[in-house]
Amino acid sequence: MDKLLSPDPGLMIWTIITFLCLVLILKKAAWGPLLGAIDEREYRLKEERLAAEKARSEAERIQRELEEKLAGVHAQSREMLAAAAKDGEALRAKLKAQAEADAEAIKQKTSAELAAEKNRLVAELRGHVADLSLLAAEKLIGKSMDEGVQKVVLDGFFKDLASSKAGTN
Amino acid sequence: MNFEHVLAHHLIDHKLFHFMVGPVDLGLSPLILSMWAAVLILTAVTSFAARSQSPAGRRMRGMVEPVVLYLRDDNLKPIFGDHTDHFLPFFLSLFFFLLMLNLFGLVPFTSGTTSNIAVPAAMAIVTFVMIVAVGVKEQGAASFFLHLVPNGVPWWLWPVMLLIEIFGLLGKCFSLCIRLFANMIAGHVVSLSFLFLIFIFSSMSHAVGLGASPGAVGLALFAYLLDVLVAFLQAYIFMILTAVFVGMSVHPH
Repeated sequence: MDKLLSPDPGLMIWTIITFLCLVLILKKAAWGPLLGAIDEREYRLKEERLAAEKARSEAERIQRELEEKLAGVHAQSREMLAAAAKDGEALRAKLKAQAEADAEAIKQKTSAELAAEKNRLVAELRGHVADLSLLAAEKLIGKSMDEGVQKVVLDGFFKDLASSKAGTN
Repeated sequence: MNFEHVLAHHLIDHKLFHFMVGPVDLGLSPLILSMWAAVLILTAVTSFAARSQSPAGRRMRGMVEPVVLYLRDDNLKPIFGDHTDHFLPFFLSLFFFLLMLNLFGLVPFTSGTTSNIAVPAAMAIVTFVMIVAVGVKEQGAASFFLHLVPNGVPWWLWPVMLLIEIFGLLGKCFSLCIRLFANMIAGHVVSLSFLFLIFIFSSMSHAVGLGASPGAVGLALFAYLLDVLVAFLQAYIFMILTAVFVGMSVHPH
């Protein structure tokens, strides 16, 4: 059993030589290419991640700009709507005032025309009534009166008629 | 059948021929040939995994790469920081070398290289040299030996502390050697012990020996499977402790 615990120097030297050779060989043959590939892949992934982050920040910037523009357009459209509503209200008031003025003018004109027509009809009626009255009076007294007398008589008649009409009312 | 004789036959090296260089016999032995075979397989497998673009190469790389990344990112980077890439080939080789030797020792008809104390002892010497060499290179010889003693020690205690720390350094490497050797030889001893139960029982009666054999083989198989786990574990422990010790000489504080 003692031999189990007594190291063989020859084996130790061979182990050390073998291990050192292995380190050199694996460094060239295995770890170099493997770690190189890993580093390259990690570098590529890092680059891709950076590019993706850059693209995302760019997209976010564009989105922010668009939102700002949209907000500006909204504000502008609100202002335009408000201005249009104000203009519409002013136009409506103006048109209403004009329409009222036109209506008043038409009303006054119509009233004036009606009054004139009435006066004309009254004068015409008076003429007819006077003619009829004179005709009746001529028939009654058998002779005609001169125009001066007719006028005096008729004026007196219509005066009485107007006063009696006023008294009736 | 003598248990000690069988164990010695399995684990003690026998020179195939003698080649004396001074007092040291550098003649080849089955253990050395086993070690070279393991190293050749390891070199072939890792080179194939690192270089081949074939589907088999990619599959192999898929097995080796996670181990390499785990050792680099989770174990060596916290210890060495920016120096990791400099030390990485050494520690990866150390881990895979010990793992391959441990596993190779479990293959039938091969020799358990790490179960022979010379191999763990040689690796412990490599560790010791590495600790001192890296410490001297990074800090300078004087600073390295000065930093062996912790700060704040009274001057009259300093020589004693230096001696204790040097023994502590040797002790760390000695413990590395004994830990690997004991764990690896224990697997062989336990497996052989279970198998020897068959012979012990059959010396009483052949029927009892026959009855005990399935249980003994089952237990030996269990110990063997446990040995596979121990092979990985001990390779990792040796590598990480070496990294910690070397790391302490890179960053003394």
